[in-house]
Amino acid sequence: MSKTNVVEVSNLHFARGTRSIFSGLNIGIKRGCVTAVMGPSGCGKTTLLRLIGGQLIPQQGQVKVFDQVLHSLNREQLTQLRARMGVLFQSGALFTDLNVFENVAFPLREHGSMTADELHDKVLLRLEAVGLRGARYLMPAELSGGMARRVALARAIAMEPELVLYDEPFAGQDPIALAVLQRLIRALNDSLQMTSVLISHDIVEACAIADEVILLGGAGVLAQGSPEALLKSTDPMVYQFMHGQADGAVPFHYPAPELITEMRTATARSHIQTSVMTDHQELK
Amino acid sequence: MLCKQLQLIGQWVLCRLAGLGGALFMLLQSLLVLPGRQGLQRLLQQLYVVGVQSLIIMLVSAAFIGMVLALQGYTLLVDYGSEQAVGQMVALTLVRELAPVVAALLFAGRAGSALTAELGLMKATEQLASLEMFGVDPLHRIVAPRFIAGVLALPILVIIFNLVGVYGGHLVAVEWLGVHSGAYWGNMQAAVSFIDDIVNGLIKAVVFAILVTWTALYQGYHCIPTSQGISAATTRTVVYSSLLILGFDFILTALMFGGL
Amino acid sequence: MAKKWLEVSVGGLVVVGVAALLALALQVSGSHLGSSASQYQVSALFDNAAGLSPRARVTLSGVTIGEVTAVSIDQQTLMAKVDMAIDSQVDYLSLDTSASILTAGLLGEKYIGLSIGADEETLNDGAIIEDTQSALVIEELVGQVLLNLGGG
Repeated sequence: MSKTNVVEVSNLHFARGTRSIFSGLNIGIKRGCVTAVMGPSGCGKTTLLRLIGGQLIPQQGQVKVFDQVLHSLNREQLTQLRARMGVLFQSGALFTDLNVFENVAFPLREHGSMTADELHDKVLLRLEAVGLRGARYLMPAELSGGMARRVALARAIAMEPELVLYDEPFAGQDPIALAVLQRLIRALNDSLQMTSVLISHDIVEACAIADEVILLGGAGVLAQGSPEALLKSTDPMVYQFMHGQADGAVPFHYPAPELITEMRTATARSHIQTSVMTDHQELK
Repeated sequence: MLCKQLQLIGQWVLCRLAGLGGALFMLLQSLLVLPGRQGLQRLLQQLYVVGVQSLIIMLVSAAFIGMVLALQGYTLLVDYGSEQAVGQMVALTLVRELAPVVAALLFAGRAGSALTAELGLMKATEQLASLEMFGVDPLHRIVAPRFIAGVLALPILVIIFNLVGVYGGHLVAVEWLGVHSGAYWGNMQAAVSFIDDIVNGLIKAVVFAILVTWTALYQGYHCIPTSQGISAATTRTVVYSSLLILGFDFILTALMFGGL
Repeated sequence: MAKKWLEVSVGGLVVVGVAALLALALQVSGSHLGSSASQYQVSALFDNAAGLSPRARVTLSGVTIGEVTAVSIDQQTLMAKVDMAIDSQVDYLSLDTSASILTAGLLGEKYIGLSIGADEETLNDGAIIEDTQSALVIEELVGQVLLNLGGG
């Protein structure tokens, strides 16, 4: 199989209830790269992440991680495989009853067989990497959103995984926290020789650190390539998404009859007519 | 037309059965692994949450229920000159019926709803998914200690409920209404059998504990992880557990005391 | 500190639970601990033991000194045989002690009242009380009263 692809999704079909999310999806994630998977809300980005993590089973097709077909593994093999993966969940998913130190120590305690001193040092190293060594005795409830996500990141990389999945790492972060996360993701990827998959719809932030962008939409891959190439793309869908325009190939309006035909009062109708007319005049 | 109606009923029944089967499977799966030392620590933690934290509400309710029973019983019995039998009435009503049922209903409202909300929130904040990704089965780590704690805690609470209720009745009947203390205890001791009444009441408590905790955990684990989903699941926990408690209470009473 | 409080409170709950169960057994259901060692058996034959059930009180001058352990039919006399367990401290029941089935209140539960006779010898384990007075059956009583009224 491919030596360079860490994750290979081939002919994937997945539906939630009657709603089809993927039909015939094919994706390859290259080793050592930061790959950004982008797309509009509801296109199945988080579902894809769950499929790669082996938490969902595809209805058709297969997901291969480290050249192993996920749904053919038994529980123990899956656990072993997951030990080589780190996931940063959208909400951080810190365990609310454990403090920062214990949260980061959690995967080490579950998988590793290290002494208390080794564990202590390793956790401090991970926390140092995200700049939160001093916050190790705080509880998750006492952390700001950005700090919580950095702790979650430290926990995700505690086992030195070969593959890290980030689910919307930039959502709801202030500019400083965002810059910190960006720097961390890129730096960790390069210094630990990891492969990173970034699920996001923050185009600018994701493109700034991604080597490769996969644009999802309409149940499959819309476009794939370097961020520069996608930004230059002339495909109307790609262009609209990459440049963040309200109207375009994906219309701003939910399909509906003409507004004027649905108005009941004469004043509203005349108001619409005049505003349409002034719009036309302005355009001229 | 009729065929379609029948089909709908059939679908509904099958759906319910599948849900029940899923719940049973979940219960078995979560209990299959023996807890280690860490598991004991977690069990202790949950015993504190569902047991100790429910204690105050149980004590207060038990005292008032015992007092009301004594008051009602006295006004009824005094017409027949048998007010000495009030102790017997209070004790039998409590031990056989009211203590297990009321304690279980309170437990569903206090601990059951909290369990559902806690699990729902863990699901919504992806903590359960996160555990899974660390190779830890959330059924063993999260569900099992809560289930065992619930099943252990409720019978203990019912025992305490019984005793506090009987002393609440004593307070009203003896201290206030002037029933002779010896008659209160004597009639009670003559009428209450340890095996037939107290132990049977505790068997009820164990059954109710399983029903309530199981319902609460299942609803929490399978809720829709949104704020609406969690609140709906919490409501369902209280409603379903209450109905289950009352339904099973009738069945158990018929089996234990109905002479079947 | 928080962990310690948790352990202490859970331990407290369990201890209180066990203590409450013990209290229920002793105070509410009136079970005795190690009762067999400190009691002896006495039986009495009654014409009618209606309403008397096991665990009913056995009293002497109104003080409870034991309980009924079984109510059965004596095969030879076809009378009701009531077995009682009496506290062994009460070792002064004379041989001609009489037993009667009494009712607490008008509708209360039945119990056995003993009254001591004049004999110097005392009842031993397994002894049979011969002087008995049967249960007051309220229907019979009412019937008799009505009969007398009709006759007068």
